Amino acid sequence: MFKNKKILSLVITILTLSLVLSACGGSKGITRKNPADTLVVAQGADAKSLDPHATNDQPSSRVMKQIYNTLVASTVDMEIVPALAESWESIDELTWEFKLASGVKFHNGEEFKASDVKFTYDRMLASPSVSHILGPVKEIKVVDDYTVQIITSEPFAPLLSHLTHTASSILNEKAVTASGEDYGQNPVGTGPFAFDTWQSGDRITLKASEDYFQGAAAVKTVVFRNVPEGTNRTVGLETGEVDIAYDIEPIDKNLVIDNAGLELIEGPSLSSQYLGFNTQKAPFDNVKVRQAINYAVDVQEIIDVVLEKAGEVAKSPLMELIFGSNEDIQGYSYDVEKAKELMKEAGFENGFKTSIWTNDSPVRVRIAEIVQAQLKEIGIEANIEVVEWGAFLDRTSAGEHDMFILGWTTVTGDADYGLYALYHSSQHGDAGNRFFYTNPEVDKLLDIGKTEVDTDKRLAAYKEAQEIIVADAPQLFLYFSTQNVGENKAIKGFQLHPAGHHSLYNVTIEQ
Amino acid sequence: MSDKAVQKNTSKKKKGQWSEVWRRLRRNKMAMLGLTIISIFILLALFADVIADYDEVAIKMNTSIRLQGPSKDHILGTDELGRDIFARIIHGARVSLQVGIIAVGIAIIIGGTLGAIAGFYGGKFDNIIMRAMDIFLAIPSILLAIAIVSALGTSMLNLMIAVGISSIPSYARIVRASVLSIKDQEYIEAARAIGAKDTRIILKHIIPNSLAPIIVQGTLGVASAILSTAGLSFIGLGIQKPAPEWGAMLSSGKDFIRQSWHVTTFPGIAIMLTILSLNLLGDGLRDALDPRLKQ
Repeated sequence: MFKNKKILSLVITILTLSLVLSACGGSKGITRKNPADTLVVAQGADAKSLDPHATNDQPSSRVMKQIYNTLVASTVDMEIVPALAESWESIDELTWEFKLASGVKFHNGEEFKASDVKFTYDRMLASPSVSHILGPVKEIKVVDDYTVQIITSEPFAPLLSHLTHTASSILNEKAVTASGEDYGQNPVGTGPFAFDTWQSGDRITLKASEDYFQGAAAVKTVVFRNVPEGTNRTVGLETGEVDIAYDIEPIDKNLVIDNAGLELIEGPSLSSQYLGFNTQKAPFDNVKVRQAINYAVDVQEIIDVVLEKAGEVAKSPLMELIFGSNEDIQGYSYDVEKAKELMKEAGFENGFKTSIWTNDSPVRVRIAEIVQAQLKEIGIEANIEVVEWGAFLDRTSAGEHDMFILGWTTVTGDADYGLYALYHSSQHGDAGNRFFYTNPEVDKLLDIGKTEVDTDKRLAAYKEAQEIIVADAPQLFLYFSTQNVGENKAIKGFQLHPAGHHSLYNVTIEQ
Repeated sequence: MSDKAVQKNTSKKKKGQWSEVWRRLRRNKMAMLGLTIISIFILLALFADVIADYDEVAIKMNTSIRLQGPSKDHILGTDELGRDIFARIIHGARVSLQVGIIAVGIAIIIGGTLGAIAGFYGGKFDNIIMRAMDIFLAIPSILLAIAIVSALGTSMLNLMIAVGISSIPSYARIVRASVLSIKDQEYIEAARAIGAKDTRIILKHIIPNSLAPIIVQGTLGVASAILSTAGLSFIGLGIQKPAPEWGAMLSSGKDFIRQSWHVTTFPGIAIMLTILSLNLLGDGLRDALDPRLKQ
């Protein structure tokens, strides 16, 4: 008996000690576990393809950004600057001429020429996933080896913004033809990092390109690791296995901030989240019901609870950094009484039954739960249906839904990309308008914004369009998310890009 | 002997058989522990509404007190939306036990009938039914359940159907095996000799005598059905939110495990205790119902 007690107390002492010790560890810097010139980046999903024309998803774009260059690029302040094109001018309403940089080499040794631009954009126009980004581009004309003209069928004001999209990256004709179907696994670009290996589902390794036209990058190897669980990305940072972790979970933010060896970088993003209504289906065809829901939900509570405050209430469809945003819109505030009144006017005093669709993202499911609880206050009984991502996209574009949660990132930073696909009546369904929202007035204004060359007129059209959209409320406006990245303190020079794809060219590792 | 006396006599005899089982079960300490725990869960589930109101406590959000540790007001703490975890666990017990028992009920009725037909008639019936069951068995039961739920949509009823259907083959096999061993006994021949119909023989003689293995398998089956339900809920194919379900609670709490361990730990413990107690009870019942095994 006595002996047992002794052992027991020994065990308790050891356990307590180990707890105390483990709690003390990690307060002073975190030793990196990777080679001095290798940068390990963790993100929440593996790339789908590294062929810019095969996919338009963020994890892929984040890798492609390092491999390729575009003709023009946008800075972190959303300014358009030269990249592969040294200068450009608008010759007439329909023609843009670009002067290309000379002496730029692709990773396979080929020289970059105007013919590559023509090949790339012709191929892009034929791609179902990304052709919409080029909009009304009709023809690419090679003037000489270093001059190229882009001709559109109608005036297309946001062309330059659209050319900054990673989907507009320039490819090499020879490399694409040589790899054929497998090009997505053997990408060749002009960017600061060349593709090396891809272990599907695990990691993508890139090597610095020694003859990059703006000078070789300081980091020699970049590894993109696929770490789906947010908690594990933070743990990776803490153990020093990961140097940069994208998208720290809201709940883990304080762990990174409080850790002396880590740093949390936060910044605005161009994406907004919304809860859309199927405006062609009763009772959501009634604008009063849609407005009532906008009044009935306390969006600030969603931001506080689900995002740990990492977001800003969306009063309009576009956040302030996007060209064409309208900051004068007051939007809807949380006002249950007003919501009940509107429901009464709409003839739904006793509420109705409906459903909220979401994919299985934990953040979206939690949003759905809070909205469900708050809609109960005005008598709306909403079922939450968690639908698998592929089926979710298919069935919402077929219009089977009542309410659904989705986000949109205005990657180009221009209102055309942020409004046209979502609210123009020609874009119903798969193209982006899953509200099946139709308003001829909005259509007209969005067309003006797309084709008008005069900046002030475009701005005015977009501002007015947004006022109408907010009044029509095809969606419950949720929030503009802020994005974040956690990094080891030894990493310097990393900058967040609002579009969500961050260049690693300027990153250095301090020893 | 009058009719009454016969009745009395048989009922006394029946009572004798079951009290013998109960006596043997009572000697098994582990089985009694299991029985106690599962009884507590059943009582909690039955009186869940008395202990904590469903609308006002179990599903009512209060985000100002979210992720609080165990305290006097909330003995197991609160979850990420400020709901009382204890209230959710006892209302979740209702869901889990209900789904577990009804799913096993579905499996026993369908599987048992198929197994009894296969065993009793033999030949072509046996071949067709049992080969179909073999095909069923070749599909992992959780995958089958996932397929059924995705096809029918998520609801409590569909969950019961999915979990029930996917465990049909094991009951069919057990019932068939015991029917085969009973079918040639003398008392069946006797019944046949006095001209009893097949249905009467199956219902009155074969089923009561093959009950023991079904009871054991059923008890263990409830455990695995609860586990399957929790698994399906964990991957988002469970019952409708905001209804509390242990697997779903575990799943949504896992994001907070480093900051608030209790959100995911207590539902986990509830699942573990239920499964453990049912397994202990099932093992104990097996020994009690078939004393030869122990000797």
